[in-house]
Amino acid sequence: MSSSDSPATLLASLFELLTSIRLTIFLLLALALEAMIGTLRFEGIYYTPWFLAPVMALTLNLSACLVKRLPRAVRRVRQPFTGQQALALPERGRFAWPAGADPRPMVAAALRQELGRPRQRRLNGREIFLYERGRFRPLGPYVVHLALLLIMFGALIGKYWGVEGSLMLLKGETATDFQNLQTGKSQPLGFQVRLDNFQVQYYQDGRTPREFRSDLTLLRPGEKPETAICRVNEPLTFGRFTLYQASYGRSILLQVRNGESTQVLEAPVGRVLQIPGSESRVKVLEVEENLQMPMQSEVRPLGPAAKIAYLEGSGHAQVIWVLKNYPQMVERQPGPDRFTLLNLSPDYFSVFQVKHDPGVWWVYSGFILLLLGFFLAFCRLPQRWAVVLQRDEQGQWQGRLLGAGPRARESFAGHRERLLARLNPGANP
Amino acid sequence: MISSVLGVVTLTYLLAGLLFLVAAFSAPPRFQGAAGGFLWAGLAGQTLAILGRWTQSYLGALGPTPSPALLEKIRLVVHQAPLSNFYESLVFFSWCMPFLGLVAFRRYLQNYLGILVAWLACLLLAYASLGVDSSIKPLMPALKSNWLLVHVVTCFLGYAAFGLGFGAGLLYLWQGRRYRSRLPDLPQLDRLIYQTTTVGFLFLTLGILTGAVWAETAWGRYWSWDPKETWSLITWFIYATLLHARLVKGWKGRRTAWLAVAGFLAVLFTYLGVSFLLPGLHSYLT
Repeated sequence: MSSSDSPATLLASLFELLTSIRLTIFLLLALALEAMIGTLRFEGIYYTPWFLAPVMALTLNLSACLVKRLPRAVRRVRQPFTGQQALALPERGRFAWPAGADPRPMVAAALRQELGRPRQRRLNGREIFLYERGRFRPLGPYVVHLALLLIMFGALIGKYWGVEGSLMLLKGETATDFQNLQTGKSQPLGFQVRLDNFQVQYYQDGRTPREFRSDLTLLRPGEKPETAICRVNEPLTFGRFTLYQASYGRSILLQVRNGESTQVLEAPVGRVLQIPGSESRVKVLEVEENLQMPMQSEVRPLGPAAKIAYLEGSGHAQVIWVLKNYPQMVERQPGPDRFTLLNLSPDYFSVFQVKHDPGVWWVYSGFILLLLGFFLAFCRLPQRWAVVLQRDEQGQWQGRLLGAGPRARESFAGHRERLLARLNPGANP
Repeated sequence: MISSVLGVVTLTYLLAGLLFLVAAFSAPPRFQGAAGGFLWAGLAGQTLAILGRWTQSYLGALGPTPSPALLEKIRLVVHQAPLSNFYESLVFFSWCMPFLGLVAFRRYLQNYLGILVAWLACLLLAYASLGVDSSIKPLMPALKSNWLLVHVVTCFLGYAAFGLGFGAGLLYLWQGRRYRSRLPDLPQLDRLIYQTTTVGFLFLTLGILTGAVWAETAWGRYWSWDPKETWSLITWFIYATLLHARLVKGWKGRRTAWLAVAGFLAVLFTYLGVSFLLPGLHSYLT
């Protein structure tokens, strides 16, 4: 074994690879490409190793860069701006004051007005006024990357300890469980919830909903019941869970006949129902108050109608229109279950998104940190300014304006122009 | 009334662009000044038109029994910001161009870059006026949120900054093939690409974050891989690449210009492609 592939060197070159920006660029572009494919073709790609592996690699890449470069940035930020360093800055202007005039208060005021409160130092007989902006700029990128890690951490917590589900309530119905979306099973809420009322208000056009809201009564065992309203954009938190008004719909009364037996089902739109006593299932796809049938030259109203999907046993789904005013059409249905529309129910049912996500506060903290990082990185570009005053042999004050701000050229030029005007001994104070 | 004001604004932008063109071919600086003046006038007119539509939409939403509470009124004003359909988004997108040009990038706003800003704004506004349904529609419940205003404003300021970066990128690639003295020089274009990208990236990030917080209160999920969300993330990845390449690896010139062009194509797909081709939670435009 040669020395070049000893474990230590291997580790070092692995670290080298992990901290390389080339890898970052490759991963970012790869993720962009995969996400494109995800939206155009394979919707679930975000949960497959094809997507998660580069995300993991990017996380590692990001963490490694933090470990490697953050200490250097911290050291840079901790170095104070001293008089010695100020003297090494490029010169931006010179001034001379008449004998007997003390420019110090005027210089301090000019700096304070143009930039901010300066610090004052004395060095080898020189009076130095210092001002520094954007000292924490070197930390900006690292704060941004730390924030991204925090957001991913929050997402991970949400993924493993969060619960997401849905709850459907008919008017007057009480629930103690909801449907967990991840497991597909029902899960206890830890409290009772009853839908007392559901209202939809429409705009004047009569079609666009203005608002829909659920009036709920919530009850924890052994406590006083509470009433609450849940609207879109106004979620409701109770116990461990938050309820979001997701959607609503109507249900229909369907008569199901199979041979000699008939039964009546209340079928909410959009929900798959098992037909009791059989293997078959039914789902109401659409409901029409008054179905409009375009004929050759006119449109004929056919009355209340429902479009349903019928799944017999394990067979294919068949789509059937059921018309209330034409019950005789039942004979044309494939069977063995045959459906008649008895009525459209006047009441709505309400659908809630149920959620518990302990990661969300991590994600939000990440957001705030991200904004702070952006502010540091892009909005506080470093500038250093100094005014150095010195007395010549005759006791007259001479001054020099020094400064640098290579990243903030525009703002620097503006400050320079105004500072020169303010410091000019000829100008009125 | 408002549509005729916008018609005049469209013509003003067209004229501003023409004056910038004349200024690019002749020395006298007064054309430059006149072009800038027209651009300001257009921006002022468009601002008034947007405020007018905002008022109209607010008055329309008051209803027969408006709530007397001040807080409710403010809420309604915020909710009725004219940013809720395709037409209104186009008008605002167009407004962002001269706004950014005149406020954030005024140092660069000469000759060809002036033409770029003025004509992009003109084009967007003309398309909005001629090709898109401009009626004020009632607001659907999902959009009734204080987040609508800040989410849409930040997103479109980002899009517009990227649009300017795209223009600068194209000019860079064109200038790079053979030097033309009338075009801005390469270092200036390169700086402009970087600065527009920074501004755009800042606003796009703000747009994504406000969108996530809004989605959390509306749908109970801050991220759902909805096509619009995903495409905004793709756009974010592309511009993040540009910034890393430039800031850390020191890439300049052609490669960043190409990335700025690719990034804006992703922006366009996020804005238009997703809305018209991929159905999802953000289907408010059609």
